[in-house]
Amino acid sequence: MVSTGIRIGGLGGQGVILSGIILGKAASIFDGRNATLIQAFGPEARGSACSAQVTIADDPVAYPYVQNPDVLVVMSADAYTQFIPTLKPEGLLLYEEELVTPKDLPPGVKAYGIPATRIAEELGRRLVLNIVMVGFFAGVTGVVSLVAAEKALLSSVPKGTESLNLNAFRRGYEHGRSLVAAA
Amino acid sequence: MTLEHENFPQTELLPDGRSVVVREMTISDEPRMVEFFQSLPLEDRNFLRNDVSKPDVVHRFVRETEDLVLALVAEANGRIIASATIERGLYGWTRHIGEVRLVVGRPWQRHGLAKVLLRHLVRAAPGAGLELIKGYVAGGKVGAQKALEAMGFKKEAILRRHVKDVAGRRRDLLIYTNDVSHIWEKMEALNADFSPTQGE
Repeated sequence: MVSTGIRIGGLGGQGVILSGIILGKAASIFDGRNATLIQAFGPEARGSACSAQVTIADDPVAYPYVQNPDVLVVMSADAYTQFIPTLKPEGLLLYEEELVTPKDLPPGVKAYGIPATRIAEELGRRLVLNIVMVGFFAGVTGVVSLVAAEKALLSSVPKGTESLNLNAFRRGYEHGRSLVAAA
Repeated sequence: MTLEHENFPQTELLPDGRSVVVREMTISDEPRMVEFFQSLPLEDRNFLRNDVSKPDVVHRFVRETEDLVLALVAEANGRIIASATIERGLYGWTRHIGEVRLVVGRPWQRHGLAKVLLRHLVRAAPGAGLELIKGYVAGGKVGAQKALEAMGFKKEAILRRHVKDVAGRRRDLLIYTNDVSHIWEKMEALNADFSPTQGE
């Protein structure tokens, strides 16, 4: 009966939707649970607000819209401002710490940040920022298993890019695990 | 240096029916690497950047791997028969460029082993964030040129009468490049967050 509502917010071109696809695929195909994905775009494809709503549940999902997420993942300041009021009390905020500065966090919300852009650049491709965030999500929440998330990742990214994407995922995952362990 | 999703060692079957084992180089390979490099004729060693017939050079080669994206050896009958590396700049304007270096022992040249090793190197490059890989070949080394071209390299430049062979004759130096950045175009498209059905 466990159900987790997730909203991922960022800018068009950051791979917000791909992040949602990987999480949903990990849960539904490789962890044997159920998942739905709703995607929303701003008026332009790139550079404007973009978000994905993912529901992961043990039972079939009857209502796929996530109005008040359990977990909010944000990769831009605008996404934070727009979506933080919707996060559930006692919810979890995961944010890109060089792009987002959490202010006025609702009481009870737990927040974990990661320098995902810097990690992606260290690995050689800023483009994998979203994959670092997916790994971070898996590491902090455990909502999708490590094995399932890696399988979903490898089945979702283009041939030839698997190695760097996997490294990006694992950097995010390890960062998440270390923050949770220290908390 | 390790490629997480590549499983080495791998057994590769060459077109002539012989099989070789391709795996990552380790520090414990040092004595066999010395043996391999010393088995190369002077004519072949002359094309290398360093004098690898000297054990101390090989000692450093197997240890100082910070700039190596991938270092492979090919083995047959317990002996190292080829070495293949891809090296990158660690800082600055060439950080996105890798250089391939490939040495195949004489008995194994012209049997498809160079192509096998190059294929592994080319696959490794985008995973390390490289956008361009290059290789240098002396004029007249037809087998090496064919192997590079078969793996997507294009002849980018010719430096006329640039290098000297073991007999002191000046030879052309060919510069081959392979732009592997296009592999990331598909990832950029995936990340574009653009829905073709938007607005319908």
